[in-house]
Amino acid sequence: MAGQIKRFLDQIVEQRSQGDNTIASTTRTKLILRGINPRNYTNDSADDPETIAEVRKIAQELGVTI
Amino acid sequence: MTIKAVYSTEITPEESAADLSSKLSDITAKFIIFFASSKFDSGALASAMQKQFDSASVVGCTTAGEIVSGKMLKDSVVAMAFDSQALEEVNIGVVENVKTENRVPEVFADFERKTGQKMIDLNIKKYVGIILVDGLSLAEEKLMDKIGALTDITFIGGSAGDDLKYKTTYVFAGGRAYTNAAVLVLLKPRVEFDVVKTQSFCDKNKVLEATRVNEAERIVYEFDGLPASEAYANALEVPVEEADSKFMSHPLGLMVGEEPYVRSPQQFQGSDMLFYCNIKEGMELNLLESMDIVQDMREVMKAKKIEHGKISGLINFHCILRTLELEQRSQTEDYGKVFEDVPTIGFSTYGEEYLGHINQTSTMLLFK
Repeated sequence: MAGQIKRFLDQIVEQRSQGDNTIASTTRTKLILRGINPRNYTNDSADDPETIAEVRKIAQELGVTI
Repeated sequence: MTIKAVYSTEITPEESAADLSSKLSDITAKFIIFFASSKFDSGALASAMQKQFDSASVVGCTTAGEIVSGKMLKDSVVAMAFDSQALEEVNIGVVENVKTENRVPEVFADFERKTGQKMIDLNIKKYVGIILVDGLSLAEEKLMDKIGALTDITFIGGSAGDDLKYKTTYVFAGGRAYTNAAVLVLLKPRVEFDVVKTQSFCDKNKVLEATRVNEAERIVYEFDGLPASEAYANALEVPVEEADSKFMSHPLGLMVGEEPYVRSPQQFQGSDMLFYCNIKEGMELNLLESMDIVQDMREVMKAKKIEHGKISGLINFHCILRTLELEQRSQTEDYGKVFEDVPTIGFSTYGEEYLGHINQTSTMLLFK
């Protein structure tokens, strides 16, 4: 499997921003400051379990369901 | 609508508060924010300020130097007053025991009761937050992460200083001085506002990946699998023995697009590097090089004046490392003059807050 991390990150940004571009941008920055850079993940990125666990944790803290 | 910036260089807390009150006698303040030298007795100053402005919400913190329209100061108190035409709502909360706990949700619950809205639902164009935090608590990252998780409102601010003594810093609210604490302020201005972040660095296009760290202690053991000091010196192309002299001019930046979120080295500890904010394992950081802070700030302010037409008030959270660099270059007077025609207060911080905890930056809240 591949691409799960990118899908989760996209869901976090979409759900949190609800289409607001400013909030989408600040949400991406918050992810980067937490050590997860959305630009580093594509549909071909391996589903690294540690990274997925970290992304799930961040999603939960941000109140986002993935 | 009035936003007014004043300062006092009186000797005692009581004299300073009385002096500021006298200079603000033409305004009925709804909210006072002040920044004070650590030379004052903190408890006495907090009490004196609240007593002088008894009908206002009063917050503040200690500093490593103060800024007011046209001047950079030492041993002073600077204050900004807002009347009720400038601010519709002011909500204040204190987060205590920040070193060991994270009680931001309790303060936010109180804000929600007062505003009648969930923090996550607040309109980001109507509300803005200020955070003042104990600058020696090492707690800024976890506080900012929690704030950022619970709201999309921008919280901007600074880490309190103590004039480079690195002993104790204080935040003030409601007539009390707190250490090991943060003050959160939720404002609903009646005027438009803007948040500005500027750091006066260029990217040297050299990347270091943190491969072994102690995040909580803000230590990097290794970059790119090499001892941190060696990797940093290699990037600078200088011997390790000379590399610590480059800390101020060549910090590292976590890049968000073209925008660096600066991580400043504090010291070598053997081959480890201690930073002023945390670095996570796997983070890629770019080597930065300092530019002219005064020129950069002139350009920022010029652009903002053009964008907004006028600026009725500005709060500048300005890194102490930038102040030290300005002092080295004998530019403090020039820097102060950049804000000569704008009601401004600010202070030299032990770190700046905007979305996260950053260094060697000015984060500024600007009122139109």
